[in-house]
Amino acid sequence: MTEVTLSNVVKKYGKHQAVHGIDLGIHDGEFVVLVGPSGCGKSTTLRMIAGLEDISGGEIAIGGRVVNDLPPRERNISMVFQNYALYPHMTVRENLGFSLKIAKRPEDEIAKSVTEAAGILGLDELMERKPAELSGGQRQRVAMGRAIVRHPDVFLFDEPLSNLDAKLRTQMRVEIKKLHQKVGNTIIYVTHDQVEAMTLADRIVLMRDGHIVQVGTPLELFNTPVDTFVATFIGSPPMNLVDGEVSGGTLWLQGGIELPVPSSARSLVRNGQKVRFGFRADNLMPVGHSVEEEGEIAELDLTVTLTEPLGTETLLFAELGGLEVQAKMFNPRPVAPGEAMKFRLMLDKTHIFDAASAKAIRG
Amino acid sequence: MDRNLAHRNRRRALKTAHFIGLFLVMSIICIPGLWIVLNSFRPTVEIMAKPPVWTPSFTLDHYRAMFGGAGEGGVPVFSYFRNSLIVSVVSTLIAILIGMSGGYAFARYRFKGKSGYFVGLMLFRAVPGVALSLPLFIVFARVGIIDTHFGLILAYVAMNVPFTIWLTDGFFRQIPKELHEAAEIDGCTRWQAFWKVEFPVARSGVASAAIFAFLTSWNEFALASQLTRSVGSKTMPVGLLDFTAEFTINWGGMCALAVLMIVPALVLTFIVQKHLIAGLTFGGVKG
Amino acid sequence: MTRRRVPEWFVLLLPAIIVIAAVVLIPLIFSLYSSFTPYKLTRPSTLWKWVGFFNYEKILTDAKFWAAFGRTVLFLTIVLNLELLLGLGIALMMNKVTWGQRTLRTILMFPMMFSPILVGFQFKFIFNDNIGLVNNVLQSVGFQNASLPWLVDGNLAMFSIMFAEIWMSTSVFAILILAGLFAMPRDPLEAAKVDGCTAWQTFRHITLPFLMPFIFIAMTIRSLDVARAYDIVQIMTGGGPARRTELLWTLMSRTGYVDARMGLANAMGYVSILLSILFTIYFFRKLSAARAELGMAG
Repeated sequence: MTEVTLSNVVKKYGKHQAVHGIDLGIHDGEFVVLVGPSGCGKSTTLRMIAGLEDISGGEIAIGGRVVNDLPPRERNISMVFQNYALYPHMTVRENLGFSLKIAKRPEDEIAKSVTEAAGILGLDELMERKPAELSGGQRQRVAMGRAIVRHPDVFLFDEPLSNLDAKLRTQMRVEIKKLHQKVGNTIIYVTHDQVEAMTLADRIVLMRDGHIVQVGTPLELFNTPVDTFVATFIGSPPMNLVDGEVSGGTLWLQGGIELPVPSSARSLVRNGQKVRFGFRADNLMPVGHSVEEEGEIAELDLTVTLTEPLGTETLLFAELGGLEVQAKMFNPRPVAPGEAMKFRLMLDKTHIFDAASAKAIRG
Repeated sequence: MDRNLAHRNRRRALKTAHFIGLFLVMSIICIPGLWIVLNSFRPTVEIMAKPPVWTPSFTLDHYRAMFGGAGEGGVPVFSYFRNSLIVSVVSTLIAILIGMSGGYAFARYRFKGKSGYFVGLMLFRAVPGVALSLPLFIVFARVGIIDTHFGLILAYVAMNVPFTIWLTDGFFRQIPKELHEAAEIDGCTRWQAFWKVEFPVARSGVASAAIFAFLTSWNEFALASQLTRSVGSKTMPVGLLDFTAEFTINWGGMCALAVLMIVPALVLTFIVQKHLIAGLTFGGVKG
Repeated sequence: MTRRRVPEWFVLLLPAIIVIAAVVLIPLIFSLYSSFTPYKLTRPSTLWKWVGFFNYEKILTDAKFWAAFGRTVLFLTIVLNLELLLGLGIALMMNKVTWGQRTLRTILMFPMMFSPILVGFQFKFIFNDNIGLVNNVLQSVGFQNASLPWLVDGNLAMFSIMFAEIWMSTSVFAILILAGLFAMPRDPLEAAKVDGCTAWQTFRHITLPFLMPFIFIAMTIRSLDVARAYDIVQIMTGGGPARRTELLWTLMSRTGYVDARMGLANAMGYVSILLSILFTIYFFRKLSAARAELGMAG
């Protein structure tokens, strides 16, 4: 059983505090993704788990054992680095077998493990090459192979895909997910890319400024963001946010647009409360080009300013009370900028955040 | 928790050892030089005292003697300083011009036998000064440029060119080719492109090469001791010998001259120390 | 378009080639020639007498020459290895320093600024048996009778000279290796830690291979002017006592300038030149190999 537990973990660099006492429990075999904008402390947290950074306060336990002061080699972890961190003077075979050699395992066992890892990742052809002779994707694969030969308790990934081009990134993402399904170890994965987080994670840990903002499954974060930060960070395109004020059962948005307060929120808002009204592009669709759904619907007349055809759908940028909001058009037809269209807004899929605290108002 | 504690203690012990080691190293590096400086301010009686005097008194006698024209032992320090300065500065300037043009050729042009030329040039730098001084003495004597600034400058230029080529080659190679291509498209000739674009970018590297050349000339002894004879051309390293007589050495006076030699070198080095390291490594690693 | 015939690179290299040919190549050819004559400065006519390999036969059968030659090779081997080890140690320590590193690095470069002849005098002063710092300190801390003849006893003199040489040149290694440590990517080091390496194993398997090119650059630069040791030895002992610290270079200069036997001295000069060149080529090769190993070439 290798759960990883962080209790009140703090990291300080002199006066500057990078991680503010975070608590996190990770279950055995779970794929957890730490995600957040750069500088949010996610990499620092991972490096503290790895033992590459000292812990300024709190406690980290791996498999029930406190590892605060243990060097990385006594934690039985393995790590895949952003820049792959392959040993430039060793061949692929030597790179893969290095950790086992250091652990003084017998030759034949090393050879067996290396061959097995190479098989899993399709590296058989490349075994005698040096890192300099490999492409980015191949290096990435070697880095992963090096992590799996050791059969560690926990895998740590530090932005492993950020140096790859878009196509390779998608491909490697699938491979990492397959790898997890195959080996089933606990994985802690750091990225700044919310798409990676959504697609890979069993649970996402969203961080900002050294604090954990929200922990949950990808769909929980997508459907019930706790605040405007989560709402705009998770999901692509980011959630549209419009300032407004509640008055009776009506929501007055900036620019004088009037909408009924969604029924689920009606009892939670005060009269005169300043709010931010959020809705995703997927829930604002031109009439006749929407996914037909039942529910609370409001209609809006908006002027299209820009279009981005994506194939099965077209992303529309429309003007709403002086703001630019994004909408989606399914079964698209060509739209000229300046065209006025009637839109359907799925009111029961919208979110209301308190303007002062940015927290979600939800039952 | 035991293992955690053990690791913490080990780390603390290592830290202490690290501090002590560094302190020792720095002491060994500093003490000999400081000893020279200190003794240049001590009266000769005290330097020679037996048993040793550990509380130093202070005197400027040695400096007064040194700068007071032909002072103590009649060593014309001013002339030596002037000779050193002229020879080092002029030879450095020429070596930089010649070396830079050579370094540029190696960095920017492709030609047959390039690495051969390169290694060949470097090997000339490996010829020991002493070994060269014998034939050079004879040749210079024949040509009649022995005991002149010109002769010594010529020798130092030849000595410094290979190393300058190595350093500047490394620096020019750091500069992307696109830079001078862009300059040429913008209307420069190749010559203008070099002086207006590439040279300013490589300036710090060229400066570090210049410091190396200057220091080599400033400190050189083996050649200078044979190629110079009189007050009119002797440099300071050769001048140091003037403080030695058959059986005695004027330590205080020598220390004072030593300080005079070191100070310019130190000042120059402080100014460009960062580029110095970069220069050496670029030249080598990316070769 | 006659200009086209001479390629630009050649024009750029020409001044360098001319100067080196005039100042180094011609004297070397002359000395090669004179090494086949019994040339004596005092009798110029001897320059025209051809004696074939007589000088070389003479030095190759001369026990004094072989002693100096052997001592030189031994001296270089010991000194270069110690400088490398110490330089490596210092660089590793410096790399771990968290504050004041710039200052320490500047101090470290201190000895590089010293003229070799000055280093010679400095240590001649410090190791002086009567008024030197070392003996004074020894006596003051209680060894009343300790008046070690640092520069008079053969073995101690060799030690003192090596100390001076190492003091002067270790910085070159330390500075260059430190530059290597700075340039080292951190990822592989961390990967090695995670892969289970102890500090020593990380150093042995990751750091050291990465540093090899830097070590060989330092070696190459050093081997270019190993002969600087001549200045130090000349000042500190002049090759004495009783030739116990005689190196190839002091023997050569004595033969040439004191005995005025230029032909013989030039023959020795050629041996010393070959020695320097061999050292340089050896390290240059190693450098290229180490670079290829790390995939840095090109």
